[in-house]
Amino acid sequence: MPLLLLQQVVKSRSHAGSSFQLVVPELSVSPGEFVAVVGESGCGKSTLLDLLALISKPDAADCYRLVFADSEQHDVADLWSRNDEYALASIRRQHLGYVLQTGGLLPYLNVRDNLLLPMRINRLPGGSKRVKEMAERMGVADCLNRLPESLSGGQRQRVAILRALSHSPRLVLADEPTAAVDKRRARLIVQDLRSLARDEGLSIIMVTHDLDLVHEVADRTYGFEVSQVSENETLSICSQEVL
Amino acid sequence: MDSGVSQRLRVFGLAAAHLKHEWVLTLCLVSALAAVLAPLLILMGLKEGTIETLRDRLVQDPVYREIRPAITRTFDKEWMEQLQSDERVAFLTTTILPASSMIHLVANGTDAELIDLVPTADDDPLLLENDGAIPQEGECVLSNEAARRLGVKVNESIVARVTRSRGGRYETVEQDLRVKAVLSSRAGSLARVYTPLEFVVDVESYKEGRGVAARGWAGQSSQPYMSFDGVLVLSQSMLDPVLRTGLVVNTGLLKADPMDSEAFASLTGLSLPDGWYPYNLSIPAGSVNYSSIEALKRKLRGREALLIPYVNDLILQLPEKELAIVGLSINTDWAEKLAWPALPWGQLSATALESTRLMQILLPGDDVSVGTSLMATFYGASPVTFPLKVVGAPSQVKRALVPIELIGMLRTARDRAVVYQAETDDLVLQRAGFRGFRLYARNIDDVPSLVAQLRGQGLEVVAAVDAIERIQVLDRGLTQLFWLIAVLGVVGASAVLIASLYAAVERERKDLGVLRLIGLARKDVFLFPVFQGALIAMLGVALAWGGYSLLSEVINRVFGNELSDGQAICRLPAGYPWLAMLATLTLAIMSSLIAAWKATLIEPAEAIREE
Repeated sequence: MPLLLLQQVVKSRSHAGSSFQLVVPELSVSPGEFVAVVGESGCGKSTLLDLLALISKPDAADCYRLVFADSEQHDVADLWSRNDEYALASIRRQHLGYVLQTGGLLPYLNVRDNLLLPMRINRLPGGSKRVKEMAERMGVADCLNRLPESLSGGQRQRVAILRALSHSPRLVLADEPTAAVDKRRARLIVQDLRSLARDEGLSIIMVTHDLDLVHEVADRTYGFEVSQVSENETLSICSQEVL
Repeated sequence: MDSGVSQRLRVFGLAAAHLKHEWVLTLCLVSALAAVLAPLLILMGLKEGTIETLRDRLVQDPVYREIRPAITRTFDKEWMEQLQSDERVAFLTTTILPASSMIHLVANGTDAELIDLVPTADDDPLLLENDGAIPQEGECVLSNEAARRLGVKVNESIVARVTRSRGGRYETVEQDLRVKAVLSSRAGSLARVYTPLEFVVDVESYKEGRGVAARGWAGQSSQPYMSFDGVLVLSQSMLDPVLRTGLVVNTGLLKADPMDSEAFASLTGLSLPDGWYPYNLSIPAGSVNYSSIEALKRKLRGREALLIPYVNDLILQLPEKELAIVGLSINTDWAEKLAWPALPWGQLSATALESTRLMQILLPGDDVSVGTSLMATFYGASPVTFPLKVVGAPSQVKRALVPIELIGMLRTARDRAVVYQAETDDLVLQRAGFRGFRLYARNIDDVPSLVAQLRGQGLEVVAAVDAIERIQVLDRGLTQLFWLIAVLGVVGASAVLIASLYAAVERERKDLGVLRLIGLARKDVFLFPVFQGALIAMLGVALAWGGYSLLSEVINRVFGNELSDGQAICRLPAGYPWLAMLATLTLAIMSSLIAAWKATLIEPAEAIREE
């Protein structure tokens, strides 16, 4: 059973008289999978990411399901239709991790507290030991007492990845996590993400514009097919690419 | 529930960490708040300190709490005691007639100074609150002016010289007084000497001619003096208007009217033989004293005329009945001439006032047992019961007849308390109540209601009601002024907090978005600015209190030289730090609500978008 399954999910947005519609006929992520979503800017990556991050309400969905265990299944489409923000926030808090483009670390907390924050919010025990182990593994153990602003781009991004993983989520969303680093470092970061996911048994969806970066590591890749329906209407269909 | 609390604590920790991270901005904000609060605290301190101290001095000055009657009247003991027990009354002492209160004081052989004698008693605020002390027997307290005139200091001795004129001779007694204290000039600018009431009363008695055995001051006994409603003149010749006018000049009498024999009979109960002309000499609404009668007697010397003082409507209460009595004292010659009964007590006399002569009665009627005694009660200022010896029942008598001297004394007993002393078989005049009082209200705010109450009882009083109202207006004005400034301060502080907290939320939209993304609920984010506002408020109050403490110390040291112990120019009561903290916290939390509401509108998507 896939961890995440979307079927016939539609999201429209309009801006300055022109409208954009994203259709996802089917998207599924199994446990332990590394899934890449690749596309140029304007293809609907961000729209898809908002849907997957449970912060944007789909206009329509035949199925939008998260399955963390036999006993813990969430019908996201239903939660949205009931506007149950609290339940959605609770899923975000417990089961999802986010790696943002520039890290999304809180500038006023040091690295250790940034890493501890998701665990503390979820009231998980043994945070400090885990943080230390993870930081050693990612080579940022000597940064623990520093503020994010004093870190290099690569360090910051690795800390961001660690924070996304620190509370042991089941699904990690990474939004262009390598945008701020050079190509060589970017590959290392993707490798790290891949191996961490495998070790921790979690699923990863990485959104990027750079197919080269992910095509060797991704279990599956999704792409976008953009078509101009009329002068003011754009349609984008997201589907799995067969390489 | 527990999870909610810990999540809130988490948000509090984050809010605090954020303030700490942006410590420069936080410091600015805390300083701005302290800059508004500290002057407010200083102003409050000045109000509580200086103004209260000044107000206390002014407001609690006994002069402003004094109430005294504007007119001289006799106040009975019960009335005084009732007034004294009123909880609004802090102190009450009776006073005597102004005319009796001037005495001569002599110090160190200098010339005597005529100084007003004022009674005092324990707890007299005028003395106690003006550097004075309460004098005991043999001691006195001088007003500043009196001490200056006499040139004496505390613990020196002065001589009080009391003078009276009796029977055309001046008499003087003296009493040594130790000066126990000299009052500050705040107590009044007049020359006054304060002594215990007992001494003042003795001085009054002496001046009125009575003796004070305890002090060895000689004088007459305290028999009631005689007073009458008028005096009738019986003449065998008509008195022309000029002569009648002559009779009232310099006698203290005002009117001299002819009357007919019927009016004479109804007044005296006696029939007037033909050939006698009665005239009624009186003082409308006043009393005729014995000296007027003597003056009249001198004017009529050499003329065949009889003086009959009278008193209207005197009633005695006997055990079984009421008895209307009239008075007459004439010798047997006159009694024969007028065909009136011979009187065992003889003619009018101011000196033969022993009770065996006075306490006699002639009764009308047949079944009168001569030689017995009646117990008669007279209801005057206070009831007085005395024995009257029945000495006869002559047929001419239509109404009970007693010596006119007794009638004169009973008339006095209408106004003044008189008692019958069985030991001496004498009527004795009690103290004339008191002719005035000096009262201090507990608080100036009690003065207007006390004054209104006394005026409601028909007693015109003198009190500094206007001054009190001025002070109260000033007090209210100052309070309003301080509140106005406080409101300005509150508005300023609110503006600072609202703007800063709002700007902070705007600044951290992205970070707050991240918090929402990683799973904090809207209500958690709502608390972020609220906690920050509260923290800034606490730091601001702490800083402002520090500034206030420092500045108030400086103010008190520099300007507080002339203050007495326990007084300060700038001071706040003990609870004020907490009050300031509570008020500022409330204000800060109110001010943070707009920012908090703004924070809840932040969408987690904003964290993802890289603008």
